[in-house]
Formats: sequence, C-alpha cells, structure tokens
Amino acid sequence: MKKNLSMKIKAALVTAAMLVSVTGCGSSGEKDGTVKVGLLHSMTGSMAISEKAVLDAEKLAIDEINEAGGVLGCKIEYQEEDGASDPSTFATKAEKLVDQDGISTVFGCWTSSSRKAVKSIFEDYDALLFYPVQYEGMESSSNIIYTGAAPNQQIVPAIEYLIDQGYQKFFLIGSDYVFPRTANMIITAQVEAAGLEVVGEEYADMDQTDFAAIISKIEEAQPDVIINTLNGTSNVSFFKQMSEKNYTSENYMTMSFSIAEEEVATIGSDILKGHMVSWNYYQTTDTEKNKEFVKAYKEAYGEDRVTSDPVEAAYDAVYLWKAACEKAGSFEVDDILAAIEEGGISYDAPEGTVTIDGANHHLAKPVRIGQVGDDGLIYEIYATDGPVEPDPYLETYDWAVEAGIKPLE
Amino acid sequence: MADIVNTLFNGLSLGSIYLLVALGLSITFGLMGVINMAHGEFIMIGAYMTYVMQQIFVSIFGKSGSLYYIVAIPFAFLVTFLLGCILEKTLITRLYGRKVDSLLATWGISLILQQAARSIFGSQGVNVTAPDFLKNGIKLGPCTFAYNRIFIIIMVIICLAAVWLLMNKTPFGAQMRATMQNRSMAQCMGINSKRVDCITFALGSGLAGVAGCSIALLGSVDSTVGQNYIVYSFMTVVLGGVGNLLGTVIGAMIIGFSSIIVEAYQSASIARAIVLLIIIVFLQFKPKGLFVIRSRSLDEE
Amino acid sequence: MKLKEKLKGRGKHICFLVIVVILAFCPFLASSTSMVQFFGKCICYAIVAIALDLIWGYTGMLSLGHGIYFGLGGYAMAMYLRLRDNGGSLTDFMQTGGLKELPFFWKPFLHMPLALILVMLVPGVLAAVLGFFVFHSRIKGVYFSIITQALTWAAYSLFIANSKYTGGNNGITDFTSVFGSTRGTANRGNLMAMFFTALLVLVLIYILASFLVKSKFGKLLIAIRDGENRTYFSGYCVNNYKNFIYTLSAVLTAIGGALFVNFNGSITPSQMTISYSITMVIWVAVGGRGTIIGAVIGAFFINMCEYNLSSGALADIWQYIIGAIFCITILFFKGGIVGIVTEQIPAWIRRFGRKKEVV
Repeated sequence: MKKNLSMKIKAALVTAAMLVSVTGCGSSGEKDGTVKVGLLHSMTGSMAISEKAVLDAEKLAIDEINEAGGVLGCKIEYQEEDGASDPSTFATKAEKLVDQDGISTVFGCWTSSSRKAVKSIFEDYDALLFYPVQYEGMESSSNIIYTGAAPNQQIVPAIEYLIDQGYQKFFLIGSDYVFPRTANMIITAQVEAAGLEVVGEEYADMDQTDFAAIISKIEEAQPDVIINTLNGTSNVSFFKQMSEKNYTSENYMTMSFSIAEEEVATIGSDILKGHMVSWNYYQTTDTEKNKEFVKAYKEAYGEDRVTSDPVEAAYDAVYLWKAACEKAGSFEVDDILAAIEEGGISYDAPEGTVTIDGANHHLAKPVRIGQVGDDGLIYEIYATDGPVEPDPYLETYDWAVEAGIKPLE
Repeated sequence: MADIVNTLFNGLSLGSIYLLVALGLSITFGLMGVINMAHGEFIMIGAYMTYVMQQIFVSIFGKSGSLYYIVAIPFAFLVTFLLGCILEKTLITRLYGRKVDSLLATWGISLILQQAARSIFGSQGVNVTAPDFLKNGIKLGPCTFAYNRIFIIIMVIICLAAVWLLMNKTPFGAQMRATMQNRSMAQCMGINSKRVDCITFALGSGLAGVAGCSIALLGSVDSTVGQNYIVYSFMTVVLGGVGNLLGTVIGAMIIGFSSIIVEAYQSASIARAIVLLIIIVFLQFKPKGLFVIRSRSLDEE
Repeated sequence: MKLKEKLKGRGKHICFLVIVVILAFCPFLASSTSMVQFFGKCICYAIVAIALDLIWGYTGMLSLGHGIYFGLGGYAMAMYLRLRDNGGSLTDFMQTGGLKELPFFWKPFLHMPLALILVMLVPGVLAAVLGFFVFHSRIKGVYFSIITQALTWAAYSLFIANSKYTGGNNGITDFTSVFGSTRGTANRGNLMAMFFTALLVLVLIYILASFLVKSKFGKLLIAIRDGENRTYFSGYCVNNYKNFIYTLSAVLTAIGGALFVNFNGSITPSQMTISYSITMVIWVAVGGRGTIIGAVIGAFFINMCEYNLSSGALADIWQYIIGAIFCITILFFKGGIVGIVTEQIPAWIRRFGRKKEVV
C-alpha cells in the first residue's frame, strides 16, 4: 500500500510539473529528457517470420526521430516485449507494459487475434496502441490507431479493379482464420452485387503444407481469377505447388492480399511473376520520401532486406504518433487522443500523405494495385487518385449495407 | 477418370512425404523407444542445409543451377547425421529406460534448435529454388504430374530400399534387429548396443535431413517448418506399429490417402480433425499399430 | 523437540503455506494491478500443474494434450461471461458467420449455475469417455502421450474451423471477469475478489490432491506407475483407477482454465495447442514431479522467469535458457526443484561432511 501511495504522490508531482512546463518529458514518473514507448511483437514462434520486419521498421523510425532531436525535445526510449505468437501472452505483456511499466503508447501486434486480445486492455487502462497491419475491419476502438488498410482501402478497390478488367468467375482461397473469412464475406457480397459469380471458397489450415487437394478443387472450378488471402508460410507452399503443375499467372491469375515484397523474396519471383497484389505501398512506390526510407532501411538492416506495406505502415505509425504528440503538446494519452480526434494529423509518408481520421482512428491512404516483376519487386499498375477515406464498417457502400456486413453488436 | 488419377497421385505423393518424414522416426522409435521431439527440427535443418548449399553454389558459380540439389541431399544427410550422433551421445544415452523423459528432453532441444535457426538465418523464411530438372510437371492427358512429387516418391523408394537392405542384409542390420528385439540378450551375445544405438539414432536423424531437402521444395523454409510435420510423423509410426518398416509404409499411405480424400469433400481443418479422430479410433482396436513385433515380455512398452 | 518431530515430513505443506501467505499479501504489496493479474494467472497455472502432476507424477501417464481441457474450461467460462456482458445477444463473430440466432449449445451459458457446472462437466465427460476407451484397450506409455496429443490437435483444428460458433482463432474476447472489470485502480475491489477466489480454489485443490495421494488410493496410483501389471495381478481394476484420476485431472485443469479467462479477458485456441500443453508439462518437470508442491513451485518459477526475461534482447536468449533448463532438469535433476532441495543438497552436504571427516 505504501508503495502505491508513493506512486500516486509521484504521479501527482509529475502532473504538476507538466502543468508548469507543457512540454515536460516523461509521463508517469520517468527520467527527464526521455519518453518511453513499448514495442509488442512476436519475436519467437510462428509469427516471428512476419513481425520481425515490422519491429525493425519501428526501431528505425525511433532512431531517426532521436537523431533529429526527438519528440517535444525528448528522446524516445523503447521497451520490447515478446508476444511469442500467442494471444494470451500478448495480453499479459500488454498489461505489463501499460500498467506495471507505466508506458502509455505501444506499437505492436500483427494478427487480429493478438489485437483482439489486447484491445480491452488498452481501453481499460486508457493507453494507446498503434496497429500497423491491414486487417479485416469491423472494428474501431477508441484506443487503437490503425495505420494499415481497412477493407475498403485494400480489398474493395482490388475487387473493383478486377471487375473492371472483366474477370467474371472468382475463386476464394484463404487460411482458416478471421481475416480471410471476413474478407471473403465482403468479397462475396461485392461480387454478387456486381452480378458475377464466386465459383469456390476454400480454407487451408494455418500450417497446411500440402495444397494438392485444394489445387484440384481450383482446377475443377475453372475460375478466371483466384483471390488469395492465405497467410505467410502457406503462400509459399501454395504457389510452389501451383508452379509444380505448370500453372503461372497466365493460367490462373491471382490477386493476393497478404503477399508483400518479403513473401515474394521467399517464394521466388520466377514463380510469382505476373501475379497481382493489392496494398497501399510498394518498395517501388515513386515518392521522394520513399527513396530515403528504402535507403535508410537497407542501410540499417542489410542490402538484401526489402520494405513492404506493413513495414512502411509501422514506420508511419511512429511518425504519426510524433505528429500527434506535437500537436497535443503532451505525451498523455487523453491529450493525444483529443488531438487526433480533432482531425488533421498527417504525415508525408513514403506511400504519400496519410491522415488519421479523427472519427474512426484509421488512416486515409492511397490504394495501389501491383504486379510482381521479374526482379522480385512489385510494380504499380493502378492507383487511386489521392487517398481513400477509411471506412472500416463499409457503411458507405450500398452493397455492403444491403448484405448486412456491419455487425450489430 | 482424370479426377481419380489425380486423387490417387495426390494421395500417393502426400503419403510419400509423410513416409519420408516418418522413416527416420520409425527407426529410432522402433529401436530405442525414444520419441524424438526434435525430429521436426532435424527436418528443418535439412531444409536449411539445402538453402546453404544453394547459396554456396550461387556464390561460386553465380547461379544455383541443378547440381546444387544433388549435392545438398548427401550434405543434409551428413550434417543431420552428425548432429544426431552428438545428440545421442550427450543426451539420449543418459536417458535409457526413461522413454517419456527423453521425449521431454528432446522437446527442450527442439526449442533451442528453432531459436538457433532464427539467430543464424533470421526470422524470415528463406527461398529455396527448385533445381531445373524438378521445375514444373509432366502433362499426360488431362493430368499433370509434378516432377518434384515424382522425385519424392523415387526418393522414398530409394531410402526405403536402403534402410531395408541395411537392416536385413548387413551384419550391422542384424545387430540392430537383435538389439531391437531383445536388448539384454543382444548385449550378452557381445553386441555393442551403445554403438548400435548411436548409429541408429544418427541414421534416423540423417533421414530426417533428407526429408528436409524434399520439404524445402514444397513450401516455406523457416524455423517452424518442422513443427508442421512432427505430429503426423508420430501418428504414422504409431499407426504402422513400432519397428516395422512395412507398417510405417502402410501407415503413411493410410494417412496420406485419407487426408486427400476427406479434403476433397471437406475443408482442410475439418479434414485434419477427421483423419486424426479416425486414427485415434483405429488405435482403440489395434493399440500397438498394424504390425506388432510379438514378444512374451509383459512389461514392454 | 516435539514440534520438530511434528514438522518433520511436512516441509512441503509448510512450503505451500508460505507460498499462499506470500500470495495473500501480494495484492497489497504489488505496485500495479497488472502484477496482481499476472499472479492470478500463475495461480491458475499452478492448479493445472497440480492436475497434471496427479496423472503424470503419481500415475505415470504423460498427457501431452491437457491444453484441450484447459481450453474447454476456459471457453465454457468465456461463453458465459461474453453472453452476460452483451445481454445474451449474438456475438460479432456469429453475425459475421451469418447466424441469425444463438446456437443451441450456447444457450445453457446464459445462466451462471449451469455454466459453472458445464465448465466441469464437458471436459469431465470427454475425459471419461476417452479414458474409458484408451485404458480399456490398454494404451499406455508414449502411445497414450501421442493419442492425447492428436486429440488436442484435432480439437484445435475444429475450434478454428467452426469460427461462427467459436470465434475461430480470435477466440472469445471482450468480456470482464465474474466480478466485473478487474483492471485499473478503480476496480481493485473486483480484482481482489477474483484473486482471492482463485487462491482459495488453489488451496482447496492442493488439499484435495494432498489428501488423495496420501490415501490408499494415492498409494495405488503409485503402484500403477511403478508396476501396472503387478497391480493388476493384485486384484485391482487398474483401468477404473486410471480413468478416475484422468477424469479428475481433466476437471481440475478445466477449473484452472475457467479461472484463467477471468484474469486474461480472452480465450483463444492457442491455449489448446500441443506446444502449450507441453509447456504445462515443463512446469511440473521443473518443479518436481510426484510432489504436489513441486507442481506449484514449477508453475510459478517458469512463468515468473518468462514474464521478466522474455523482453527486449533477452527474448531470443530466453528460448535457449528455457530449452537448456528443460534438458538439464530432465538429465540431472529428475526430481526438479523439489528434488534438488530434498535430495541433491542433503547429499552434497553429506558428501562434504564425509570429506571433512576423512581429512
């Protein structure tokens, strides 16, 4: 109890100090001149494959900001925690970060299950989570900033593009988890509203290694295009085994939502050449800012590393937090959230200017359809004119409203 | 017709993969009763060794070509064989008569090996390109048979033949079988059972390495790749009956075919659950698998 | 002197008492609520470890699939809490899956007493049925381990595949504990209530387990472990004993799982994976199998290490450490931490003493 009391006194003192000098560093009793943030990702387990790169991007952004003088005159320190690819470990660690270690801002998570497991923790402790990955939408937490794409910034425009291009028969394949299931529900509604046909829907196990049966089903259905929402390692197996059967993008075009530059590197560009993907950012995206970003990333982590959409979204997240802190003039969550909800927090990101939507905490960002090139990089073949406003519940799309996609609860 | 041929080929191919990954386990499990939880990680090492060999070829010749894969197979075998040797000498040999304990100790090893792979090769997966002669497939009428799958089937046959010859036609094989059937009697006859154990365990690990080479062409090569196969390997061995090559072959084929056939009508997750439940039910009637080495010993496990 | 004699042989119970007293003070001393939450989770792990120890340490059956019972208990509790928190309407994943009304097997979870019974009944019945068949066909040793492993994997797949009923791999989230929200200083009362409930359950289960293993029944379990056939020939129906203890263990594990979700605020199929199940075995092995207190110590020791050591640069090294701890324990310290204290250290002292005498 005594300790608790001293904590309270400390907190009160700090708050008082903050009132005196608005730009005072260190919320909740930290060292002067630094502000601490948390990085919560899987460093071990099956998700480490994907999350390590995102973690690297966040560290890069933090280092850059520190070199440029920090935020509000404070250097950023970070504390890394390992979520071990297990949602309940994420929950335990999130609670440790925001409560025990007194860190109010955390950058982290990749899978929807880990985000869902920590969501109520960030809400209950009034802390802030920056979530850097595109996801299935249908969520808008007061304490989470989603810097990846909402479904209408990745899935919906991609399907629109395919419909415009004259594809008629769609085959949906995904890993058996929530993102593919929700994505496919959206896609089915969209495709059917356009009067076209979904000729098959298949789900692979998360760690499925043999796709022979699924490929047979694709052969039977004879689709024009395969919509692929498989997760990281399954993608490798699926495309390698498609190529075994002599299938290239000419036989079966695919549109993938989880294949970025890193996955192309592990699958091989000889196999993926010509296939389509949909993201907001590619390593080849032609902006001045992106050239600097790619250069900095490669310098920090090696020439053979590639940048990708989640990596860039994680990098943006740190800068957006910085912008929000500067606008709020404080590191307190309530102040930051107030600044964000006023709207207009934006950052000239490598993908182009992104702005946090004050109402739903997602980003307005440009959408790009890309095609895998011979060199393993992805090249833009279509882009929206300027940023697309986020709409996590697809409320502005008539077909989605008609299909009742938004959950009532 | 094309459907049936396709299904048969897919089943045969999946069965061969399971057989290849389970073959090594079947030998170690059969001889020593050791459940090697690190078996999956030996597969992973084999896959990574393929990658290493590919990189060596790229750095010497500028491209990986086809030859690298031919070299990679014995290389992977050798590396995992040696690692198996070391593991046996340091760990397994201290755990004789404590089968369940060896299961747990090897689980610890598997954690260490996974982390080692992450430390050495990075968290991201690596890309192993198929050698030219295994790219694509041969088209016969409406069906396409992947060269790679055919290669795996051939590889399994070679491995099986080699193991069979070793076990049945060489003096070492005789010693191995003798130790397997009655350890103390074999020791009385002057067989150095420790040496037999060590080499057998290393052989099992080496076969896992070879399996890893094949797996590398089928899917992702990363630190967790072995985990995907380990439970199926156990099921294969248990289903077939311990210490019996024919049993392992049939066990692997049953699992392979039933997976493919059930998956044709069900989603993959449900198919997996159904196959596992079928096996559990089957084991109710044949608790020691399809083929049992008969023994009068009562307290045998 | 008399007191000393009385205490003799009860060191383990005293040790448990000390742990309980420390835990009881912990909510008052801990600087943050998350610490208390964490210890709450550890208490649940300790319950699971006791349950596993009963069948592994005492009866010699290594289950590598206790995650399924932990998960079932957790899901049952989570279903009740979720429905309570949203007033019994459809959950978001059911709507996404296209369901129009609550599935029939969710309906019992609208009522608390029924839910609490089902927490124990569902895993209990599953374990009893599985046990009946498995023990009837005399599957034992590693075969038993592999079957339990396969069953858990199958259940994991089924839970993920039926996402409209179970929430898929996201599991069930967004609910508070039985006593309401336990997070933050404002809800400290709820947290205390939850924490002491869990502690009370742990104490009760400890007493039950200690009583069991002390009784004639416990001796029989050890007899089965050390010589199953001899026990058979002595006229005992080994199957029934094994099945009883296996079912009991499953029920206790489920209780641990049900308490766990109250602290965790979510349940996912990750708790039903094989690796999670093996982690549970690690707790028992490191603590010391065949001693109830060992299970408790192991669960706390491993989880506290993991909590503090798996952050930052240590996260990578932690995997090496946990692997090494495991190998070394199995290799050299079969009795785990308890074994080191009760056997190894006295042995070293004796050896040391003898050397001195020789000199």
